[in-house]
Amino acid sequence: MEAAVWVIILPLLTAFFLGISKLYFKRIFFYLVTGSAIIYLYILIIVITHSYPPKVYSIGDWGLLGINVMVDPFSGLFLLMIAILFLPFIIFSMKYNKFLKHDYFIFAYLMVAGISGMVLTTDLFNLYVFMEVSTLSSCALSLYKKTDRGIEGTFKYLIMSTLGSFFILLATILTYYLTGTLNMAEIPLAFEDIPFKIKSTMMTLFVFGYAIKIGLIPLHAWLPDAYEDSPIPYNVLSSGLVLKSAVYALIRVLYIMFGIDFLDESGMLTIGVFWGVITFLIAHCLAFQQSNLNRLLAYSSIAQIAYIMIGLFVGTEAGLIAGSFHILNHAIMKGTLFLVVGIFSYSLNAVEKKDIKGLGYKFPILSFTFVVASLAIVGLPPFNGFMSKWLIVEAALEAGFVYAAFFILVGTFLSLTYYLKVIVTLYTKNEEELLIEEPSLSLKLPTFFLGSLCIVFGMVPSLPLNLITKIPTFLLDNGDYIRILLGG
Amino acid sequence: MEIAYVAVIILFCLGIYTIITKKNLIKIVFGVTIVESSLILLLMLVGYKPDGTAPILDKEYEIVVDPIPQALALTTVVIGGSVTAVMLVMVIKIHRRYRTLNIDEIRKLRG
Repeated sequence: MEAAVWVIILPLLTAFFLGISKLYFKRIFFYLVTGSAIIYLYILIIVITHSYPPKVYSIGDWGLLGINVMVDPFSGLFLLMIAILFLPFIIFSMKYNKFLKHDYFIFAYLMVAGISGMVLTTDLFNLYVFMEVSTLSSCALSLYKKTDRGIEGTFKYLIMSTLGSFFILLATILTYYLTGTLNMAEIPLAFEDIPFKIKSTMMTLFVFGYAIKIGLIPLHAWLPDAYEDSPIPYNVLSSGLVLKSAVYALIRVLYIMFGIDFLDESGMLTIGVFWGVITFLIAHCLAFQQSNLNRLLAYSSIAQIAYIMIGLFVGTEAGLIAGSFHILNHAIMKGTLFLVVGIFSYSLNAVEKKDIKGLGYKFPILSFTFVVASLAIVGLPPFNGFMSKWLIVEAALEAGFVYAAFFILVGTFLSLTYYLKVIVTLYTKNEEELLIEEPSLSLKLPTFFLGSLCIVFGMVPSLPLNLITKIPTFLLDNGDYIRILLGG
Repeated sequence: MEIAYVAVIILFCLGIYTIITKKNLIKIVFGVTIVESSLILLLMLVGYKPDGTAPILDKEYEIVVDPIPQALALTTVVIGGSVTAVMLVMVIKIHRRYRTLNIDEIRKLRG
């Protein structure tokens, strides 16, 4: 079978065999998890390198009636993010979690299967199913510590994201009712005859549903609560992949199904940019008040995703490139920050801001990694965050959204203040003597790997941009996408 | 037929209203299941044809209902069932720890 299909099947199979090994063969657990992750990395690399020109894989030779899987550069970007984050996540979690490892990895593999299914599928209902798979296993992971706060936060998360799914499902059913198909290539062709008002209503339902999942500002309340007491390696995948996959689905639905002309005509692009500006301004202000590092990083995630929204919604080629580049960069930067906080919480149980006082002298290299990643996320040169933020500002100016470009600069100063507060705490001398053992290599290696990528992608941005510059071709003009899908 | 669509709208709004206003966790889970069943009803209505029979490929049956929404409804039932199960698990856990189901008293998070 084709490699792209295995991207979805392999994690599902691994989750299944992990369940069996929990019952009968406990000894092969370690080899199963790491071996499967390495094979998965290999398959991902093969699929990513073949993502241009886009290809359609039809399962079971049913043609358009059956299930089709399509790899184009935009989904290739998301597969690249899985490839970068997943193996470090596995290595880190092996050491970080002290009990019940089987369940944890079963859900982690299920979550990745859901996300890769979301980015590869071409069917609207499959998109919904895969989204539910990833959301449910994401909830199970966030519940994993079984503390009071963890359960409370996860309950909020599940209620809110189910509410979002209902709106998406309603819009999906109405789409089927209006067009008689769920294939993403046939929907836009059938959509041409549908009146403007009905199309706008459908778009509102989709946008509202996905906005809950993404956590845009008035709908964000679940996000910091879900992050507060969850296992920290899970937060890396959650902010890096789960939130982003909702962004992916939103962009895919809007750009392919409705088309850029309709978005422009109905004013959705302006609304998206405006919503993004409001979101990051408020999220930065809220992040400033937090004392818990997980909550602070969660609010920072909301703000960064608002930047991504601005980039993707200015509706030009430059904007799409900038937004996609920021998707990748944010996953790497936020991953580094969370992993460093994870090491602090593993060796010292420190998740509050006051607990990390003076740790800059105890863990010099780790703290330096934290500083690098936080400066990157603020957007200072020469790190990767600067590159993509600069591209977003440039694209916003070019498309005429001058206020967005101005407020991004304001937001940079706001984010500088709260990250500086953390860094200053990190390097304040602490009188207490702390007995700390050096964290083991399996914790440090993933952190340094992601931290070094922050610098590498800042110095040599052409590495990922080779893939990213091909994205707008198949999003701005949905004709190409449709032709490939119908012809394949 | 129209009356069935009105029922879908009423059930949907009722469910959303329940989720937003009720303070009891069990009632919130009820709200979620109400919304879900309204959507399943909508799926059934989308595929329905008057006097239609089961979708069997045979000359005897001329008017058949659309089979795709039925398959979708089946999937939605499964997903909804698992979501409800996970929610109820959490409600049980919360009740064991806090000894209450009132959402105003469950506040260890500062958010």
